[in-house]
Parts: sequence; structure tokens; C-alpha cells
Amino acid sequence: MMFRVDRDVLAEAVAWTARSLPARPSVPVLAGMRLEVTDDQQLKLSGFDYEVSAEVTLDLQTGESGVVLVSGRLLAEITRALPAQPVDFVVEGAKAVVTCGTARFTLLTMPVEDYPSLPAMPPAAGRVGSDIFASAVAQVATAAGKDDTLPMLTGVRMEIDGDTVTLAATDRYRLAVRELKWQPDQPDFQAIAMIPGRTLADTAKSLVTGAEVEIALSSVGGTGEGMIGFSSSGRRTTTRLLDPEFPKYRSLLPTEFSARAELVTSSFVEAVKRVALVAERNTPVRLAFRGDEVVLEAGSGDEAQAVEVLPVDFDGGEINIAFNHQFLLEGLGAIDSDVARLQFTTSTKPAILTGGKPVEDGGIPDYRYLIMPIRLSS
Amino acid sequence: MRLVIARCSVDYVGRLTAHLPMAPRLILIKADGSVSIHCDDRAFKPLNWMNPPCKIREDDGTWTVTHSKTGEKLILTMDEIMHDSKHELGVDPGLQKDGVEAHLQELLAEHITTLGAGYTLVRREYMTAIGPVDILCRDQSGATVAVEIKRRGEIDGVEQLTRYLELLNRDPLLAPVRGVFAAQEIKPQAKVLAMDRGIDCVTLDYDGLRGIEPENPTLF
Repeated sequence: MMFRVDRDVLAEAVAWTARSLPARPSVPVLAGMRLEVTDDQQLKLSGFDYEVSAEVTLDLQTGESGVVLVSGRLLAEITRALPAQPVDFVVEGAKAVVTCGTARFTLLTMPVEDYPSLPAMPPAAGRVGSDIFASAVAQVATAAGKDDTLPMLTGVRMEIDGDTVTLAATDRYRLAVRELKWQPDQPDFQAIAMIPGRTLADTAKSLVTGAEVEIALSSVGGTGEGMIGFSSSGRRTTTRLLDPEFPKYRSLLPTEFSARAELVTSSFVEAVKRVALVAERNTPVRLAFRGDEVVLEAGSGDEAQAVEVLPVDFDGGEINIAFNHQFLLEGLGAIDSDVARLQFTTSTKPAILTGGKPVEDGGIPDYRYLIMPIRLSS
Repeated sequence: MRLVIARCSVDYVGRLTAHLPMAPRLILIKADGSVSIHCDDRAFKPLNWMNPPCKIREDDGTWTVTHSKTGEKLILTMDEIMHDSKHELGVDPGLQKDGVEAHLQELLAEHITTLGAGYTLVRREYMTAIGPVDILCRDQSGATVAVEIKRRGEIDGVEQLTRYLELLNRDPLLAPVRGVFAAQEIKPQAKVLAMDRGIDCVTLDYDGLRGIEPENPTLF
């Protein structure tokens, strides 16, 4: 087996495939990256850890078909460091030789026959723009739980109903919901999937190289359940799904509010960051909305205190409310808008953070970030 | 246990030399013969000490503690003895680092559905020839599940569960027995080993099981 390929193309493909390699492989071959040159002059790089699989296909100018398994991590480090020249990869007996410019590396190969075969992609279900998908996933994944004691909260729930995809994640303290449009292959397609949050965020971010992402998922009750696939411009990855259990989050989203505040996102973020400097872990940033200004406060009489006043476009009765500053800042970072809109009912009920122009009566914004306030002791 | 409070100075003669100037101190002479000298601050190790086996000779104004094997000496020059009393303490039950593990077992047995809907408890401390399995239960389909509970899930816990599973699976009435490794925190190495052996890992929320609400209010 041999092939010649451009350094940048190879390095990028190897780096992408290496992301899914296990850090602690239970079987040594799982640390390997499988390289295959097919008869029709394509190079396939793949990695698999029984949870996540990744495969990239590249077109080759010169290649001789064959399969080899080498240490993925090492190959990724080598290709990243190679000079910008064509890379020659040749298998000689039990060794693989990588030559690029004046550099030459000899790698040990691993037994290919021991390597597990990659799971088949579930049936293709539809397509979505890669940029909008990546930003939507990032907006939602920020609210996913990081705590292993509640595995169901570490995932992002994806609900597909016709041409609408709803993504939702919550860690009990906040809930992020994003709706977006996509092009299903069947107009009445319906499916529900719980995707591990971190894997989904990584995947969506890494698939922006192509214009569209194809989502492969079986519909409710279909075959090949328990797996979701994403593919884009020669890259395809599959992930095992989590248990589909998820809190009934729609009923948590309030529909009526007693007050509404609009602030300039950037100055709001700056101000929260400043006053939060004196907020110890688990102590809130307090917001007091009065007329056309909001007073941000943190810290207590026993320790350092900070106060800042910002102008606000406020509508409703006076309200004092307190939030975990980290959760508030993550929400403000996720709305992706110049204007941040907070809507409240009372100071002990969850508030909704949205961005952009208010939608016409009855409409709901694409992205909603629900945040639970912290009780004010005084 | 003999407690002596005295104004004394202490000299240590042995592998190195050390001197404690004259001051009031607490001297503990324990049942095993060991001697330790404490000052009045911190819950801390003694200022100087002699481990057993050692002998103590009490001359007028000078106590000499000699190690029986190495010959090292602790010489206490006694200026004034303010207190001297003796108490019988008996055998110590040993330090119990904490009762968390036992409590976790009790709580998980009470809330066995933490492992999954439809789980039913068979018994806590299910006895096998090589020791008790923390919890034996049945899953929703009625298959036997052995649970090993640890505070910190490490490799040796997985090994322990593996041994139990091997033994339990020889019992035709129980087999096939699946393993669940439950801990408050599971080390990555232990997780890999457990997964490789087909053992499920469950991270337990001690506060949640105890019914302690999170510090801050939650959405649901």
C-alpha cells in the first residue's frame, strides 16, 4: 500500500479522525487509525472507540490499494509537524514509512484484522446548513449538564418534527431550547434522539468545512435505533445515543410575563463580569430593575462588594432578582445578539433570556435560555 | 495511658540530636511503652517521641527512654511534675474513615430504581463463598444484577466485582448475572476496565439519595 497526498489535506483529515480516538483504549488496536487506499483511488481514514466512529474520505492522485493500522495519536502529531510538501506514505512489511521533504518517519503497524469494523450509518434523514447547525448546537450544549450522576442531563435532546428540529439541554439550573429549520428527505419525518452533549458540540463545530451536514437517524420505531450519524464533505461520524429519557421541558417555559428588560448585550456582559469579581462561588449577582436603570450588585457586607448601574429599556413593575453569574454570562454569550432581552414573572420564578428583535405577537423566538434565579436571602 | 504534665527539657540522642528547652509540656506514656511529648498547640504530631519497643527508667529528676533495638535515647530532664495520672483505655476499635460507603449501600437499596426503572432489590450483603456482594437485585426483565458500591471507584473495586460475578455466574439459579459498579466518583481507569468487562458504571449522587436538595433552586 502506498499513497501521496498534500500535507495540509492529510494533516487536517488525520487531526479530525484522531479526535474520536479513545484516550484509554481497552484494546491496543483501538488507539490505531485505519488507513485504506481503495481501488478507485480514495484514501479512507477511520477511528472508532465503540461509542464514536469517524471516517474521512480523500481523493488521491497516486495510490496503491491496501489497508494499514498505525498509532493515531502519533500519526496526528507527525502530520501536524510536517513541512508543507507532498507526503509519501508507504507500507514496507510490518512498518509504515512517512516521507515529507527531508523528514522521514518509520511507524510500527498494528494488526488490521483485529480492528473492529465501523458501524453502518443509519439511514439518511435530511440535511441542514453546517453553520446554522454548529451555532444552534453550541447555543444549546452550553446548558447541558457536566455531572455524571445525572447521565440523562449530559445529553442534548434532538426532536425532529417535519421540517423543524428542536434542540434542548438542561442541567436543572438552566434550560436552552433552539428551533431551526432543516430539509428532511421525507416531509413527515419524526424522530427523537438524546446525543451526548460534548460529542455533539465537537462534531457540529468540526463539520463547518462543508456547506451542509447530512443527519442520519432512524425515525421513531425505525431500525438502526441507538445511533446517529453526521456527514459532510467526505467526513462522516456516528455516535451512540443516550437513553431517550428527558424532563418534560416545554411546560417549564413560561408564556406570560410581568416584566421585560432590554439591554445592550456587550455592556451587560462587561458589567456582570466586573461585579462578579467579588462574587464567591455559588453567590449570586443581584439585579434591581427600576424605571430606566438596572443596578447590578454582588458581594455582601462581610466581604468585598461591587455595584454598577446600567441603562435599560424596562417595562413592568420593579423587580429584584439574583442569578448565578456564570449561568447568566453563558446565556448572554449564547444568545448571539446585540440586544439581550430578559423576561420575568416573579423574582423566584425562572426568567427567559432571548436575543434579537421581539417576534410578532404569539411567535416564539428561535432561541430561548431559561434561567432559574437564586433566592435573595434579605 | 499515663498522662504527665511537667516542666521539662528533652534531649534526643540517636541518629540525630535534638533539644527541647525547658518548658511545661504534656508527656504521654502509652500502654505499648511509647512516649510522646506534646506542646499546647495544634492537633499535630508530638514534638518528639520514641516508638516501641522501648524502656523507660525514672530516676530522680531524669527520665530516660531507651529504644530496645537501636539504643536511641530520649532524655527528659524533669524540673517539676504538675500532673500524673493513669487511665485504662482498652483495645481501640480503630479509625472508621467514614460511614459513607455503608450509608450509600443502605440508600441505594432503599432507592434501587436509581439504577433503572423496574429494578427490584433481592438483598443487601448477599453472601457468597468469597464474601458478601453489596447489593443483589433484579432488573426490569428479571435478570440478576450484582452491585458493588464504593465511595471512590477504583480498579480494585472492579476486580472485586469481577470475582463475585465469576462466582455468582456459576449458580444456575442466578446466572446470567450482570455487574454494576456504583460509586460517588469513578476513576477513568476503573471505568475503562469495567466497560471492557461488560460491567456498567453508575455515578451515585450521595446528597440526592439522602434527599438533600441542591443549594440553589432548580428548574424542576
